[in-house]
Amino acid sequence: MQQDYAGIGIFFLIAAVFPMIVLATAWLVRPKRPSPEKLSTYECGLETQGSTWVQFKISYFLYALIFVVFDVETVFLYPWAVRFSSLGLFAFVEMVIFIAILVIGLWYAWKEGALEWM
Amino acid sequence: MSAVSLLTIEIATAILAIGLLVIGLIVPKDQRQGIGYLATFGLIIVFALTLLYTNVQETVFNGMYIIDPYSTFFKQLFLAAAILVSVSSFDYVKRLGYNQGEFYSLMVFATLGMMMLASAGDLISLYLGLELMTITFFVLTAYRKNDFKSSEAGIKYVILGAMSSAILLYGLSLIYGVSGTTVIGEIAKGLNQGAQPLELLGMIFILVGFGFKVSAAPFHMWSPDIYEGAPTPVTAFLAVASKAAGFAALVRLLVIALPSLQSSWVVIVMVLSALTVIFGNFVAIPQTNIKRLLAYSSIAQAGYLLFGLVAYSALGVAAILFHSLLYVFANLGAFTVVIAFYNKTGSDEIKDYTGLARRSPLMAAVMLLSLLSLAGIPPLAGFVSKFYLFTAIIDQGYIWLAFLGIGMSMVSVYYYLIVIKVMYMGEPPEDSEPMKLPVSIQATLYATMLVSLFFGIYPAPLTDLALSVAKAFFPF
Repeated sequence: MQQDYAGIGIFFLIAAVFPMIVLATAWLVRPKRPSPEKLSTYECGLETQGSTWVQFKISYFLYALIFVVFDVETVFLYPWAVRFSSLGLFAFVEMVIFIAILVIGLWYAWKEGALEWM
Repeated sequence: MSAVSLLTIEIATAILAIGLLVIGLIVPKDQRQGIGYLATFGLIIVFALTLLYTNVQETVFNGMYIIDPYSTFFKQLFLAAAILVSVSSFDYVKRLGYNQGEFYSLMVFATLGMMMLASAGDLISLYLGLELMTITFFVLTAYRKNDFKSSEAGIKYVILGAMSSAILLYGLSLIYGVSGTTVIGEIAKGLNQGAQPLELLGMIFILVGFGFKVSAAPFHMWSPDIYEGAPTPVTAFLAVASKAAGFAALVRLLVIALPSLQSSWVVIVMVLSALTVIFGNFVAIPQTNIKRLLAYSSIAQAGYLLFGLVAYSALGVAAILFHSLLYVFANLGAFTVVIAFYNKTGSDEIKDYTGLARRSPLMAAVMLLSLLSLAGIPPLAGFVSKFYLFTAIIDQGYIWLAFLGIGMSMVSVYYYLIVIKVMYMGEPPEDSEPMKLPVSIQATLYATMLVSLFFGIYPAPLTDLALSVAKAFFPF
């Protein structure tokens, strides 16, 4: 029992020390010729223009939320559809209730104007 | 009985919540005041349904969901709180003027979450109920969208609520990892090898997570800001029902799932309860805002409720049941006065309550009785419930804790009396006139006053009920 934990402890220790050794070795042996391009932060994709702390439309969130609801619905629908023939009427009724609740949610979002791009 | 008929109460509540939402969509925007009445009516019907389930002791879905007298007691408590809050919020919501249907629908959804929490027989259903309740309260807290304080409270609650949920979930996952089951009734069997480090860690995380939910010191710091910023009916519901729901689940989890770690968790709960009682009562003294004062007083009350858990006996659980009922009604009485006062004057400051006794004797009387009941002065119900809590811990030998509790109750009398002094000794402002209260507020005030007085003078029926429920729940 104690030995098992000691093994894990040694593993943690090695895991912490090993990257330091690697970085230190690289720092010792590598050539040092810095340039502004090399010193800039590494980013992939397009370069950022201006400040990233800008406001953007709340409608994106509403669309994303409604999308997630129906996205997750598929996760439940798929296994149900695969086993449909052996599940019978009860499962069908259950799924209808489930979808009805989601449809009420969509109806609500629609009526309150969440789907309008203003 | 079949699973569906056992779940009638929850299904009815869910249908009510969705129905209110749909009715809110169909009815034109300017005619939605009626939804409040519908919500109240529906909740009363659900409450009547629960009376059929008082002696049912069953589990459904392989132990995932438990319907026993303990959970039914709490469900009735939540429903009573929901009914009173919805009645007292008619005018407040009308004044808001927007999204009136959603307000009541969300409130019913929160009640449903609390019911699931009280009935949860599985870590998954427990977490599901907790999230249903908490996420609904995030929305309700930020309901006054043009009010800076309300939005701030909402955001704070989202961040801290998410963090406490994460901590709780981590603890639950560790307990699941060690015991190999998520069914609360079977966890104890999986943990029979004495206290392992991993179990202890899981238990500590669970205590911290629930400490946030019931606002026990040192995890209380969210509650005063959120209580102050949230719309007052929401604060009332948050302070009373969500705290009682947290206790319902915490007691079940600790007593049923983790009895093998009792010697360890009792120490932590003891420290938490002592800290909570000391901190809540002392910090309440300098408050000038009535909602903040009630927030700190409810932190202190959470500490007293934790005493019952320290006792770890049938009497302790009975005392928790008794005290949570009394706490709900006394606090609702006080908050209803705050709602009515805010509706009339737009202020929550204690100094504006000056001379309230002459402007509205009923409001002042209810505030007086509620605060004295919270302080535990006989012949009000708060005295009886505190008496049982202290008896329960003295029986187990924690005399110092009982003395601490009594001493802190005296401290609490001081700041409650400050409010009472302002109401009764102060002069009403020059240009003030008597306050006329709507019938709905009056009904709530009379109901809460009656409960506090009745169970203070004649506690026997409630004591018997609480003891029989606790004995069924706590078999050893």
